[in-house]
Amino acid sequence: MNTTGRRTRLRGRPDLHTSYAQELTLFDTRAKRVAVAGLLVVALALPFLLTDEVLQLLAVCCVAAIGAIGLGLVTGYAGQVSLGHAFFLAVGAYTAAVISGDPDGRVIGFGITNIAVWLPAAGLLAGLAGVLVAPLATRLRGLYLAIVTLGLVFIGQHVFSEWSALTGGAGVGRPAATLEFFGQPIAATGPLGTRDQKLYWLMLLLLLGFALAAANLARSKVGRAFTAIRDRDIAAGVIGVNLARYKTIAFAVSSAYAGCAGALLYTITGFFDPSSFSLLLSVQYIAMVLIGGAGTISGAIAGAFFITLLPRFTRELQAWVPFLSAQPNEVPNVFQVETILYGVLLIVFLIFEPRGLFGIWVRVRNYWKAWPFSY
Amino acid sequence: MTEPSAETVPPEIPAATEAAATTTSSAGTPAGVGPAGTIAVRVRDRALATPDAVAMRGKDRGIWQEVTWAGYWDTVQTVAHGLLALGVQPGDRVAIHAENRREWLIADVATVALRAMTVGLYPTNPPPEVGYLLSHSGARVLVAEDQEQVDKALEVIDDCPDLERIVYLEPRGIRHRYRHPALLGWDELLALGAEHRAAEPEAVAARMAAATADDVATLIYTSGTTGPAKGAMLTVANVDFAIRVLVDGGGFTDPPPGPSDLLLSYLPLCHVAERIFTTWFNAGAGVQVAFAESIDTVQANLREVQPSILFGVPRIWEKILAGVTIRLANASAVKRWNARIWLGVADRIAGTLVRNGGRHTAGTRLAYGIGWLFCYRALRVRIGMRRVRYAASGAAPIAPDVLRFFMGIGVPMHEVYGMTENTAVATGNRPGRVRLGTVGEPHPGVELRIDEQTGEILTRHGGVFAGYYRDPAATEAAVDADGWLRTGDVGEWVDGTYVRITDRAKDIMITAGGKNVAPSEIENALKASPYVKEAILVGDRRPYLTALVGIELETVGEWAQRRGLAYTTYRDLAEKPEVRALVETLVAAVNAGRAPVEQVKRFALLPKELDHDDGELTATQKVRRAAVADRFAELIDDLYTRRSARSGAGEVGAMGGAAESGARAGAGEPGAGAAG
Repeated sequence: MNTTGRRTRLRGRPDLHTSYAQELTLFDTRAKRVAVAGLLVVALALPFLLTDEVLQLLAVCCVAAIGAIGLGLVTGYAGQVSLGHAFFLAVGAYTAAVISGDPDGRVIGFGITNIAVWLPAAGLLAGLAGVLVAPLATRLRGLYLAIVTLGLVFIGQHVFSEWSALTGGAGVGRPAATLEFFGQPIAATGPLGTRDQKLYWLMLLLLLGFALAAANLARSKVGRAFTAIRDRDIAAGVIGVNLARYKTIAFAVSSAYAGCAGALLYTITGFFDPSSFSLLLSVQYIAMVLIGGAGTISGAIAGAFFITLLPRFTRELQAWVPFLSAQPNEVPNVFQVETILYGVLLIVFLIFEPRGLFGIWVRVRNYWKAWPFSY
Repeated sequence: MTEPSAETVPPEIPAATEAAATTTSSAGTPAGVGPAGTIAVRVRDRALATPDAVAMRGKDRGIWQEVTWAGYWDTVQTVAHGLLALGVQPGDRVAIHAENRREWLIADVATVALRAMTVGLYPTNPPPEVGYLLSHSGARVLVAEDQEQVDKALEVIDDCPDLERIVYLEPRGIRHRYRHPALLGWDELLALGAEHRAAEPEAVAARMAAATADDVATLIYTSGTTGPAKGAMLTVANVDFAIRVLVDGGGFTDPPPGPSDLLLSYLPLCHVAERIFTTWFNAGAGVQVAFAESIDTVQANLREVQPSILFGVPRIWEKILAGVTIRLANASAVKRWNARIWLGVADRIAGTLVRNGGRHTAGTRLAYGIGWLFCYRALRVRIGMRRVRYAASGAAPIAPDVLRFFMGIGVPMHEVYGMTENTAVATGNRPGRVRLGTVGEPHPGVELRIDEQTGEILTRHGGVFAGYYRDPAATEAAVDADGWLRTGDVGEWVDGTYVRITDRAKDIMITAGGKNVAPSEIENALKASPYVKEAILVGDRRPYLTALVGIELETVGEWAQRRGLAYTTYRDLAEKPEVRALVETLVAAVNAGRAPVEQVKRFALLPKELDHDDGELTATQKVRRAAVADRFAELIDDLYTRRSARSGAGEVGAMGGAAESGARAGAGEPGAGAAG
């Protein structure tokens, strides 16, 4: 009996899988394809609808999403809690800045301003750093791993604030990488659009690429090994998953994502100093993953947007709540509200919706999926 | 409905062979090899015409593996050569003891290609029955599915002198462990076949060319509710007649089934009904067949396959209905409320459909269209009937309420009637001409009459079987000299052309008061409730009617849970006074509107589930009344002797939920009973 192994599915019978390829398809139903395409069209059209200021914020969101996806891979998919994400962001940011920096400036720089060079290099070097850290992860798990990666942040912070030839020193900083593609400045106001419009498009497309790559990784053998390790590392080892190998891959890929995100993040503002890479940054990324929904790509993206847009929302809040002040030296002020809101949201999500924003979506979807039954 | 082929059957021809000769000449099979288009010829022609189209699907490690017509036919040839190498001669019997799967059809078609007879065994048959069937049929080769079936065969192999080879499909647990000389793996058979095919490539084709209309294609053992199973011989001509009437002629579906239709095969293939839908719809019309993983996964497989043609026995429809009822009862408030509204609308739509013979009016179409958005579409997707364009119930009587439910939610439901001995060709409700409570109109080319004295239904056509295997006495009793087959069912004409079945002739009860009662109607009214799995009426030569009721563990268990009733086993649950009260309301609802002699005066709950292994059910899950009466004699005696408060005619409406379901079971009361 020779079988056909048809890869396309039968019309109108979404559950009739005739090959494994069908079950692994990223956008398997027409509804999903239509929704993603619609979302993409809206996202690409946004620069014509929003002000530059908002677009810049959205560009930051896109970059943060790349970083969050990276953390999602190691923490959400492979279950290795890492508080060291800020360190990898820093490695990426400094690698890119050094490569594209001015050779004659006061800080180290090689003057290679091509994004095609510094972006991969940032990812590569951060990934290498991840590989160096990975042996820790293969020996430790859970809380212990979190503590050890926490140490990484402090070591990093110390090195970066002391090594002023590289970073410009604490409180001073250095210019970020230059956005240029083979001599062509990418983000510069011109006849095609303003700097922020182009910036947004660039970051959106990069996010799209990184997200698709991560989704593809997650549905591959590697991704399945990640989830097996997350669900029970001993069981995964017993069924033949090489723990050391896949934990290393998880850290390498995650750090590479962080490196790229770090390299891109500060090109938007153009300048950064070593105090940015504190524990708070790591916690922020953890929050993105948790609030968005651990173990999902779209959740990480949603979480990144949510956390990055939160300060903006609290500032808008001021218009509605008159006793809030916009001055940091008055009480109560929006920055305090922001911090409180931040903590409250984390607590609320962890208690009531541990699967994050994605969990809410899953719940809504399941409600209609089971219609007219409840299960 | 025009039916050109039907006119070619001369009604006055009594002998099956002559009728077959006429039928086949007009059948117009593409490549008329020999006088008859056997199913092997049909499969070969499909493989030549559409080699890459999908013939069937079987689920293997979570994937529906597709088999093309070319692949199907190629394997059939190899297997046929393998059987040739094993020495299978024309007229030999090849038994198949497996769940529905691809190899079942392949072995069947290969056997027919060799002019041998296929004998199907029910997977649930216990060893003694396997021994009886194998020795009675004198099967030379047995195709057994797995270790379980091989064990059964090996247990009785000494009583089956004709059995030479046991071909097993699943090597797990057999290979390298069993050393019996008769054992042969399926892959070994294929290798044997490939070798034989290389040596004599034309051997199978030569056999096929020699096929005649009188060749017996299959032995179908009737389930035997009363005595040992009898093997009905269906000839090539019978099968061809059935395919022409039911498949090519569109005897069931309109338009006729075709290669774009999908079908789920899940009922035992040794039963004539599933054989029609699976093997003959497949070979005859090119319908794509998907094999369910097992009878327990039918609902999940239905959801995946979403077949366009669906046949079920009443038990299946009742079970799906019970599942819907329970899941709706457990849904959240909004969903429950939504479902109540739209199922109410569905009931009204069904009422109109019933009055109109199954055709929509503009009003019902509009109501259905709105309901489709809110409920019916999703509901049909969940129960796997989104794409069903023709659904049929047969093989046993069904309560009209159950059919009404499915008609209401938009599943075009048709009750059909036939039996093994007439190749299941007798009557059917035609699309657009449905009459609820009847089994429809005789198919074109079918002669059907009702005996004036006994009320027994008689049929005569090209599908009447060639006789019981090795049992001429029984054959003589079943078919008279003029070729009329006595069906053993008592029925009557309704509106001139429709047939209503009262009951099996031998099941009709005469109470001590001299009243004739047809038990199946009352039993089915009871079984229409989701809480009742079995209902067996007692009352023959008794002063009044009583019933043995078996509860449905799943639904009653759920019902008990919702009320916080703790229970341990089936027996414990059945003995709860609350459950008794629930059944009491159901019985009272069924009694309402019936003449006193037709009311169930008392009932008892069965302390266990009826089982094939205990001999209480046949392989087709039909109740063996004698065995049940014997086993539960004490229980029945109690119903007629003890004067206790445990009377069946309790008050209705003691409990909210019970009253609700009771009302549903009581709604649409089937007509007032049997002839008295």
